[in-house]
Amino acid sequence: MTDRPEGNAVSTPDLPVILELGVASRPPALTLAEASRLATVAADAGVIALRLRDTEPEPRQPHGGPLLDPSVVAAYLAGRESRLGYLVDVPTTHHAPYNVARRVLSLDRASAGRVGVVLRPGEGDEVSDAVAPAAPGSGSERWAEYATVLAGLWDSFPREALVGDVAGAVVVRDELLRPIRHAGRFYRVAGPIDGPSSLQGRPLLLAADADLRREHVAAHADAVILDVERDSATIPAADELLAALGRVGRERRDIRLVGRWSIEPQDLRDASALVRRVTERSTVAGLDAVVLAPRGAASVETTLREVVPALVPAAAPRSTPRSTLRDALRLAEVAA
Amino acid sequence: MSEHLHLNVNILNAGVFGGSWRFPGTDPTASYDIEHYTSIARRAEAAKLDAVFLADSPVLESTIRHRTGNNLEPTTVLARIAAQTERIGLIGTLSSSYNDPVEVARRLADLDEVSGGRFGWNVVTTAGPAAAANFGRDAEPEHALRYRRAAHFVETVVARWDEGPPTPQGRPVVVQAGGSSDGKRLAGRVAEVVFSAEQQLAKAVAFRSELRSLAAGFGRRPDELVVLPGLSTVIGSTEAEARARREQLDDVLPDAYARARLGGQLGIDLSTLDDEQPIPDALLHDPDLAGGSQTFYRVVRDLIDREQPTLRQLLRRLSGGGGHRIVVGTPEQVADDVERWFRSGAADGFNLMPDVLPSGLDGVIDGLVPELQRRGLFRTDYDATTLRGHLGLGLPGVPADDRTPLEAAR
Repeated sequence: MTDRPEGNAVSTPDLPVILELGVASRPPALTLAEASRLATVAADAGVIALRLRDTEPEPRQPHGGPLLDPSVVAAYLAGRESRLGYLVDVPTTHHAPYNVARRVLSLDRASAGRVGVVLRPGEGDEVSDAVAPAAPGSGSERWAEYATVLAGLWDSFPREALVGDVAGAVVVRDELLRPIRHAGRFYRVAGPIDGPSSLQGRPLLLAADADLRREHVAAHADAVILDVERDSATIPAADELLAALGRVGRERRDIRLVGRWSIEPQDLRDASALVRRVTERSTVAGLDAVVLAPRGAASVETTLREVVPALVPAAAPRSTPRSTLRDALRLAEVAA
Repeated sequence: MSEHLHLNVNILNAGVFGGSWRFPGTDPTASYDIEHYTSIARRAEAAKLDAVFLADSPVLESTIRHRTGNNLEPTTVLARIAAQTERIGLIGTLSSSYNDPVEVARRLADLDEVSGGRFGWNVVTTAGPAAAANFGRDAEPEHALRYRRAAHFVETVVARWDEGPPTPQGRPVVVQAGGSSDGKRLAGRVAEVVFSAEQQLAKAVAFRSELRSLAAGFGRRPDELVVLPGLSTVIGSTEAEARARREQLDDVLPDAYARARLGGQLGIDLSTLDDEQPIPDALLHDPDLAGGSQTFYRVVRDLIDREQPTLRQLLRRLSGGGGHRIVVGTPEQVADDVERWFRSGAADGFNLMPDVLPSGLDGVIDGLVPELQRRGLFRTDYDATTLRGHLGLGLPGVPADDRTPLEAAR
């Protein structure tokens, strides 16, 4: 493990670190082969999870083309590096919720309960739209309904239903299954899902978009990713969100506030200063974790070697085989 | 005809028989763990098989109480297998009925990219009201409409692949199963690999010949289409051992499962019938009118027509399986059967479905494959790195592009 930079007088908060990547097929973007190598570097450095982007955040971002599908990349990387968790960005656009519920749960079951989905608001999909009873509605309303469907499906096949009773010739106690029979404005989904639920109760559901309504995020998200403005001392969105929690009957411990730092190459010229900024702002804002989003493939390794070790407490356990992503973020158990 | 035949293994959860999960020495819920799939894939690669195959349907099987079902989404499983293998092909089933073509085109091209050009897409239509209800519908669209949508869906996806940057094999391979009239027309037009379910040699020869003619009619070269019948294997080191294994598979078949499955296939409530009598003719109808899987309906119907079994005999004969041909014997006997079909023009190879997974794979990998290699019928090493390469497929032009909006089935 790398030593912490000398002269770091700020006590290191116990901040779980997530690394954000956009993986494409060709250089100069980060390629899969590079991402695979860096996943191991990340796990060694104490990163708890990779967040995989679906699209590039801004047009001017230098890249080699469109990004590879996050669920494909995550499944691939998880097959190589099992110590990390994986967060996949998925928009509602073009994705029927039953399909996403299955895909994310499959990833999660293959990764010992270390997966989450960053659900991005958007439009519908060709399959669902054909039968949507009343399609118009806000992106946030669709997002909230989508999140409801995901959670319901992820709970619909309790782990204890899978019994494999050879003598009694019963594989699954189907009386324990819970079809959701969801009939909403945007989606109608019967369920149940086709495989048992996650080790961590449910895969994590994350919000990352400022234009989602606070009540929707507060009601549905396990964690919210908040962009940290370079020049602002506070994160107003965090306070608004916490205020909304009470209105929807949830508590502070039910949601994780995750600050997202976009890291430019020039920020890395003084890694110690960057570390100080991240730790100070996180403490002031009461953040629970951070996402580091290095811009440019070359910045990823520098971030891992010079920034992450200073953020991850020396005593932080590397992801142990028994630790789920919910555990790593210190989220409460999911209510059954 | 190519010198070598092709072999896939269908990693069909616990195995192709209804009682596979209860077979002695089997962990009953192993197929609910990812390692089941990845370890089988690694063994299949060591044996130089063309591909692994995953069936799928976006629904929990109604038979889940008494039989294991597929339970992991195929692209996530295959991407993981891609990370842990280097050469073996990766064929996954995705429904044309309940997916968005824009999203599917991207995800599958990306899977092909990350695997180094090893992916094949098995296009299916999805039958049944339970699946329909997961996507807001009361019932699935009728058969012909499902296939019209499938045809347009495939063309849309392949056109998008053609517009995007090429993957290491150009674009994913298109695989298709489905022996209905609509299915055959679709296959002739767009499929590069066809999975079939034929019980008899003569019919299989005719089917393959018909498909190749259909393909030629669409301006394709016949060898752009590889036909792989399904083959369920029960292998023993002696014939007696193999037969005993087959008997044992029947013994562990949950009766409730077999009846539910057959009744579902035929659209008949079996509980009202006499086990010691054949199914009354009046209850059996024209396969073209069958709403569910026409392929399996035809297979079962043919069995009934040929053998006039009692209901009890029919249940046992099918052993709760999906209607694929079952071959029981030593590796040499199975190889004889495989060779006969291959040389007769009935098959370009087989989609193998071992009786039990993982134990039934032993007979394939340690017995059947070496015997076929010894006969010069199967590769002893990979010489290609892509699925197209393994299957001897070139990269033909894309099917005719129809840009009108997809017929979104209601």
